[in-house]
Amino acid sequence: MNRHGGKERLPAPPKAGPTVLVGNPNVGKSVLFGLLTRRYVTVSNYPGTTVEVSRSPASIAGRRAVIVDTPGVNSLLGSGECERVTRDILMRERPSAVILVADAKNLLRSLVLAAQLAEMEVPFVLALNMDDEAQARGIDIDTELLADMLGVEVVRTVATRGIGMEALARALAGPLRLSRFAVTYNPAIEEGIQQVAALLPPGLLAARSVAMMLLAGHYGASALEGAPAEMAERVDALRQGLQARYRRPLGYVMSHQRAEAARRVVAAVSSRRAVGREPLAAVLGRLAIHPLAGIPLVLAVLYLLYKFVGEFGAGTLVDFLEGVVFGRYINRWAADAAAWVPVGVVRDFLVGEYGLVTMALSYGLAIVLPIVGTFFLAFSLLEDSGYLPRLAVMVNRPFKAMGLNGKAVLPMVLGLGCDTMATMTTRILDTRKERLQVTLLLALAVPCSAQLGVILGMIGGLGPVAALIWAGVVTGTLFSVGYLASRLLPGRGSDFIQELPPLRLPRLSNVVLKTVARMEWYAKEVLPLFVAGTAFLFTLDRVGALSRLERLASPLVEGLLGLPSQATETFLMGFLRRDYGAAGLFNLARDGQLDPLQALVSLVVITLFVPCFANFLMIVKEFGARTAVAVAAFIFPFAFLVGGLLNLTMRALNVGL
Amino acid sequence: MKCAFCGLEFTQDDVRCDPACPLARGCPVVCCPRCGYQTLDESRSALVRLARKAGTVVRKISRGRDEPS
Repeated sequence: MNRHGGKERLPAPPKAGPTVLVGNPNVGKSVLFGLLTRRYVTVSNYPGTTVEVSRSPASIAGRRAVIVDTPGVNSLLGSGECERVTRDILMRERPSAVILVADAKNLLRSLVLAAQLAEMEVPFVLALNMDDEAQARGIDIDTELLADMLGVEVVRTVATRGIGMEALARALAGPLRLSRFAVTYNPAIEEGIQQVAALLPPGLLAARSVAMMLLAGHYGASALEGAPAEMAERVDALRQGLQARYRRPLGYVMSHQRAEAARRVVAAVSSRRAVGREPLAAVLGRLAIHPLAGIPLVLAVLYLLYKFVGEFGAGTLVDFLEGVVFGRYINRWAADAAAWVPVGVVRDFLVGEYGLVTMALSYGLAIVLPIVGTFFLAFSLLEDSGYLPRLAVMVNRPFKAMGLNGKAVLPMVLGLGCDTMATMTTRILDTRKERLQVTLLLALAVPCSAQLGVILGMIGGLGPVAALIWAGVVTGTLFSVGYLASRLLPGRGSDFIQELPPLRLPRLSNVVLKTVARMEWYAKEVLPLFVAGTAFLFTLDRVGALSRLERLASPLVEGLLGLPSQATETFLMGFLRRDYGAAGLFNLARDGQLDPLQALVSLVVITLFVPCFANFLMIVKEFGARTAVAVAAFIFPFAFLVGGLLNLTMRALNVGL
Repeated sequence: MKCAFCGLEFTQDDVRCDPACPLARGCPVVCCPRCGYQTLDESRSALVRLARKAGTVVRKISRGRDEPS
């Protein structure tokens, strides 16, 4: 695509390699690219990928060059699509120069890339961009010392104002040096790198870097041209031998040591001076990701969520809508209107026990909608405040302890919105095993927003002890299954690098509009399913299958779980949507048909219940029908087993709620 | 629009979630091209459009009151 579409002829391509812009996301690469090129921009997908790469001819200090703008990355050795594209451009096109664009406010991230460029033996200039913002925040960087430590030119730039462009052009025009920023890894890793490098074809450029990629498992040995056929096997054996000496994946270990080296450089070259009082949002933002101070903040957020959704949404609002609006008016009007319907079956389907109005609409509009409405409102507040990515940083630590790799945090947190979509997001994970592990955990123990809302609503009526037991059982299950799955399905590791937008006071209009949009979507998407579910139950009841199913499930539902037989219906609803099942349990509890222990046990089962129909279809699409059936076949008995164990334990210990 | 999770600004065209998703038809969900976070395309919500119109009317009325007669 030619964005500027002029008729001028393109200058003949230069013979030297291109000048490549490399940097983390949001550091101003594209602005710098625009300043350097100004004219023709060819944007095309990198072959075999969906990643866009911009190229344009330019004249830098009188020399012609092709400038390439690569996608923003946090590592050059990872296996993500953007990282692969950037790495391939650097390794295959052998650039004559690289401009490493750094955010001066966050030098550490860029120095990790600098270390990798040095390992790749690619000459580069460091453009310390956003220098004005760094100065305003009191961050001083000694560029002379930095240039000395890295062994490359360092130029201060403010790309948005065109500052530093001449100095950058001068630096590019001069002879470029290879960086001397050499990271020394643990002796065992250094030995492994040397052994793998010795296996590589002679004369291969950046052999050390390629050896590291092979050890990290980010670069298939077969991808190397001219490599002997048996090389892959020998590299693999070396990699496995070295990996056995570390608890964490080799890629992670190397990244960690590289980051430590970068941290030492940052400590040496940068200093902070006081620039007045730090804004409250910045202080809170820092506290929110602090390993210790962040915990009370997480607990405070959960407590407020519980009070708002569980007590106000599920108590006050549901009482009003179900007791007054539906109880006094809508159900009565519907019954009066249905009395005119001559056909008994139709009348029953409208206002009977499994009626369209008395069950589907009553559940959907009077129970679920106010609860998920309050939850959506609270969720929109969290989103708009910028707290959610900080929550991801906080949960990253326990996730790592259970053996999940860093990137897995994202779909797990997104699952709190919708498990179906989060299942799709698992594509960002590196291996099928990792994806399967996270998909299983999502389907098993991460309640979606609607389900979480109804669960919070029901727990609101049970009290804090029940809430703690529920949370303990669900997180305990999540961690145990996650840990076992990570042992049984070992996957390669990856770092978790999360962009953190600033913490801010939410804007009321944003929050209200988001909540309104979500509630409308929920009503459109979910109410028809509630109607379909009610019709299904109505049909089962009419043909007498419902009572047979209840009798069939009696040993499980009444015997193991200690629940009344009516709970079977709610689990049937749960097959369609887990929040529908939870709404059924909520209704049973409000009618006094569940005592507190029964309510708790049923909540644990419905939380861990089989994935909803849409999520099941998504798993079929992503992994195939056999895997989807296997996931459901594991979860269904497992949910009942955990619920049964909880019931028996609580009764044996005589724990009162 | 701005991703509520990672803060990336992007346009909602061509970033809808996977069309092969079983719920894709008419789905108002858009996914951030960087982190995959899902959010709703508010421009497709009739209630949001209505709320925006109501907001505009309220603002016009309050401005009219503030102006000296």
